[in-house]
Amino acid sequence: MSTALEAAAVAAVVIAAVLLVAWPFLTPYRGEPEQVLSERDRERLRLLEQRDTAYADLRDLEQDHRTNKVSDIDYESERRRLRAQAAAALRALDQLESITEVASRTPSSED
Amino acid sequence: MPEQVLGRRRGSLTLATIGSAALLLVLALALYATGASVVAGLNRDRRLMRSAANAVMGAFAATLLAVLALLVSLVRHDFSIAVVAQHTSRELPTPYLLTALWASQPGSLLLWLTVLTGASSLVMYQNRRRNRELMPWVTAVLGGTMVFFATMAALVSSPFEHVSGAIPADGTGLDPSLQNPYMIAHPPALYLGYVSFAVPFAFAMAALITGRADARWMASVRRWTLFAWASLGVGMLLGAHWAYVEIGWGGYWAWDPVENAALMPWLAGTAYLHSVMVQEKKGMLKVWNVVLVSGTFALSILGTFLTRSGVVNSIHSFVQSPVGPALLGFLALVLAFSTAMLVWRLPLLRSEHRLESLVSREASFLFNNLLLLAFAFAILWGVIFPVLSESVRGIRSTVSVPYYNFFLVAFGLPLLALTGIGPLIAWRRATPGSLWRMFRWPVVSALAGAALLGLLGLGSSPAGLTAFSLCIFVSVTIGLEFARGTAARRAIAGGSWPRALVDLVSRNRRRYGGYVVHLAVVLLVVGIAASGAYGSVNEATLKRGQSMEIGGYTLTYQGLTQSRQANSTETAARLAVSRDGSSLGTLSPGQRSYPIEDRVTNEVDIHTSFTRGDDLYAILQGVSRDSVTIKALVNPMVSLIWLAGIVFLLGAAITIWPDPREARQLARRYATALAKEA
Repeated sequence: MSTALEAAAVAAVVIAAVLLVAWPFLTPYRGEPEQVLSERDRERLRLLEQRDTAYADLRDLEQDHRTNKVSDIDYESERRRLRAQAAAALRALDQLESITEVASRTPSSED
Repeated sequence: MPEQVLGRRRGSLTLATIGSAALLLVLALALYATGASVVAGLNRDRRLMRSAANAVMGAFAATLLAVLALLVSLVRHDFSIAVVAQHTSRELPTPYLLTALWASQPGSLLLWLTVLTGASSLVMYQNRRRNRELMPWVTAVLGGTMVFFATMAALVSSPFEHVSGAIPADGTGLDPSLQNPYMIAHPPALYLGYVSFAVPFAFAMAALITGRADARWMASVRRWTLFAWASLGVGMLLGAHWAYVEIGWGGYWAWDPVENAALMPWLAGTAYLHSVMVQEKKGMLKVWNVVLVSGTFALSILGTFLTRSGVVNSIHSFVQSPVGPALLGFLALVLAFSTAMLVWRLPLLRSEHRLESLVSREASFLFNNLLLLAFAFAILWGVIFPVLSESVRGIRSTVSVPYYNFFLVAFGLPLLALTGIGPLIAWRRATPGSLWRMFRWPVVSALAGAALLGLLGLGSSPAGLTAFSLCIFVSVTIGLEFARGTAARRAIAGGSWPRALVDLVSRNRRRYGGYVVHLAVVLLVVGIAASGAYGSVNEATLKRGQSMEIGGYTLTYQGLTQSRQANSTETAARLAVSRDGSSLGTLSPGQRSYPIEDRVTNEVDIHTSFTRGDDLYAILQGVSRDSVTIKALVNPMVSLIWLAGIVFLLGAAITIWPDPREARQLARRYATALAKEA
């Protein structure tokens, strides 16, 4: 095989790679706009995680109680604690939503 | 482009040219992916990020092209390539021509690069619509790792380098010990493990860079971590089986530095898989988990360094090889970078809760972590001690098997006990009443088992007896967990017992898959303890018709046989095996001579008795004109070690299997968080 063919084969592979990398810039952009987590998003995420963790812990506690790993007394006190934790997260989430709603109803200085 | 790097010779299109060009392209794409993803992360540029992800996938395609070029070169006996000339011959069977790809240092670096680019491409695909804030930095870390290994493969230790001098008519052959079916699967499985640990490391670093230290990154890499850990575990067991059937010394684990190199990241990974649950449940051990993820990846690099730098043989061969110092430099970079990130983000990693009681599941996980890490450190010290002694004192002092066995017992037995204790203790704290309820049957069973085994004469090895008793303890705890859980599930949902069991496992795959893995650990420990503490050995020189005894078996020498294999000739001793007067067939241990490789290897023969639970293992030690020297061993319960591998795989598969409920919950949570803002 000739040196020209050798060069052509290597060039074809390189061109394919360049096309692959450049493809997002050569095609019309159809993706959604970039969603960046704001400070409020992060706080909401933290509270949602706190809520879900409390729910998951409650489920595990239920299982541990049914399989005798946790005594009735410990079960009751732990259940109260986890329910309070979930309730606190839900309250904080509601509070966050109400602040967001108030902020969105308040006209900005540019309007 | 340098002539040597491109592998250009005599102006013809060579596979070496294609392979070398492909590797240079991988390097270029990896450099681009790293740079572009950093810019995309800083500017939140989605198009540039997509371009970087495409570059990663392009790097994988180019790596596959290089692998294909090397495989074709191996099959076509292109002895102009050094790797082909030094690791194959014309008579080598085709399967071993293909596996010769990872027999050499350059080839194994190419395998590293293949797995790394493949895993990174899969990560890009899996996260094309997820983790948008993390992905640029994940790509940058994976890309940076790719740059290093692509540089090694393309410029420092190229698998396409030409032979020096004239092209030989035939190669020097493949190391005979590598001509075994287990060598087809063992190195790729190990490398899958080593390399896949790069993914959790990349996500951990991305979480620190972006300040997203919530549980999201851990959820994103849970399956990757389990996959890496399971692959490494399976790889080690395949290697152990290879050593057992191929190396021919009667054992399966020799605390060889290469074996230790795989065990260390596996131990650190095991610690992480337990401590991550504490973070998810209690918001504790956040710093510790980042340390473990980084440490596991660093130990994977260290493992590659130990096996590929030549440092294990001698500090001098390490200095002579350019790969060794480069790998050491990369390891230092990984440690420095992860430490800097950790220190920078320390305020974000504060624990949300404190340890309330030393008698709780989180405390048992903490103890398990300390023991696992202490064991890993003891092994690390044993591995690096000869290197340190040689570099400091000029004398190479090696650490022998008793050193490792001491720590195996000292740390392994408490770890085994914790395997049973952890699952039965409640989170937060356990009361004496609940402890009594949970532990009475396991403890009584273990004590009764110990007494019975003692009466059966197994008290000759206190460590072995303790291990067996603890195995009974752990097995009963696992059985009780399944029984109690199934009963509880049935009480809630009704239905049959099998249905309730399937429901129980599918609703909590991590927990019950983990218990199956614990069962594999029990099988493994029984196999190791029994074969290590209660085995027997005998050696005899026999003339035709003479017999030897071992563990109740009688071996009678019947004569020699000779056979010709594809690239070797084998001389085997025919031994009739009997027990209590009944014939059990024949064993034919042999010695295989490889003329091209100029090597003679032992070909052991094994008779496995599933009813007695032992292996009769025969080695042909020597052949003279009218006699043979036979070494025979009876290894009790070794089959359990291989069975443990299957159970381990089953348990790992249960834990790795995607849980649609969990995925839906996570997706809903993050969709809710973003939708409120939109």
